[in-house]
Amino acid sequence: MNDLISASTRFPNATFWAGGTYIMSRPDYYPTKDSNDIIYLAEVPELKRINRTDRFLEIGSMVTFEQLLTVGKQVLPGLLHTTLERSGTMIVRRQMTTGGAICTRDLRLSLPCSLLALQAEVETKTCLGPKTETKWLDMGRLYDRQGRLQLKRNEVVTRIRLGFERENFSYFISPTNPLANPHETVFLSFACFYNQAVINRFRLCVGFPTSLLLVPQELDMMMHGTLLPLSSSQIERVVRSVMEEVLASTEHEIPPIQLERARGFVESAMHELNAQSLSER
Amino acid sequence: MKIECTIDNKHLLLTVNSNKPLNLILMDELETAAMPSRCRDGHCGNCIVLLNEEAVLSCLIPAFRLKGSKVLTFEGYRKTRFWHDMERAYEDTGSHPCPHCYASKTLIFESLLQMIVKSEAGARHDEEPTTETIVREIGLNRCPCLDANEMLDIFRSAANYRRRRRVRRY
Repeated sequence: MNDLISASTRFPNATFWAGGTYIMSRPDYYPTKDSNDIIYLAEVPELKRINRTDRFLEIGSMVTFEQLLTVGKQVLPGLLHTTLERSGTMIVRRQMTTGGAICTRDLRLSLPCSLLALQAEVETKTCLGPKTETKWLDMGRLYDRQGRLQLKRNEVVTRIRLGFERENFSYFISPTNPLANPHETVFLSFACFYNQAVINRFRLCVGFPTSLLLVPQELDMMMHGTLLPLSSSQIERVVRSVMEEVLASTEHEIPPIQLERARGFVESAMHELNAQSLSER
Repeated sequence: MKIECTIDNKHLLLTVNSNKPLNLILMDELETAAMPSRCRDGHCGNCIVLLNEEAVLSCLIPAFRLKGSKVLTFEGYRKTRFWHDMERAYEDTGSHPCPHCYASKTLIFESLLQMIVKSEAGARHDEEPTTETIVREIGLNRCPCLDANEMLDIFRSAANYRRRRRVRRY
């Protein structure tokens, strides 16, 4: 880690390089006009560790998606496991890193959406000359409501932390590739905790790669204490609440296909939640 | 940047930009014929090579990652004994990829066969590729010339030859 800090101090304009799958998939990637200085984060061993403590699972930012999947369904939240599996083939997942996937500059991918739904935290290190500032942030503070990354140039994500509480129900859907179709792709990540058919926590995150990363704040309060299965009017209320917040949060006009998909996915998630709660009776 | 690596069993010292993609290195520096990369952004799946025995999209591998690595393109793979397992599998099943994606799909099959070898060598049998994994991995190359059943038949046939080869070694 000291080598990383000294390298970023000596080369303040260098690009932090994780797996490289996002950077190199840009159409104008090579030849580059920017500085060719690269700080390859895979050379830092601390960033490649997966650590399990009593309370948390800590994942280094250079852990690849494929490595994380080998940890297994017993340890990873179901929502995270599904998100990683659906992020591409094994060939690509061996190169995609957790840190790289949450720190893409221009587009949001599916992993941040699911980590937001799981209330993950991230550790960042900021290299300020001889000093280094380290802090843990709620995942939501890494982006604004339009999904724009708020990391400073000399700031790097080093670890991601998840609590061990496991959701009873999770739902992830993203049928298209955000790199190929950023203006048509929608991510929906949903984690619900319920006890004896009463909802305790209801976390939903909707993402559009170029314009939105939203966790509707009032939804959790609105649904807390609600009895499952949800009625048609309750489902309609959830969908309406989410869509109103989506429209209020975006700065630009959203393509109708994204709005329609978001609406459909939220409704579908509620029906799946009902189906599971009924099957447990 | 000077990079030492092995490409198709030839030890090379390349002088390239550190961020140059591997597929461009293979096309420009080595004039590799079997590198019909069309999209240059990881979507077509045609630029597969084996990097340290694992299939990778060469358009997503920067030059600096090649330091000390072994790269095997399809041209180099055809000179290995493992290629015969794939040849025989294609013959036995009567199915094979079309000329456009032949190299890429063959190397993906080889990468999956390596998983069998590793899973049988170690204790973890759950590393052996499942049906879903095989179809999904081969589907990384979007050419629709092979359907799912053909992919599975080819893989099973090649896997039998590969297992027999391992038994003969002992």
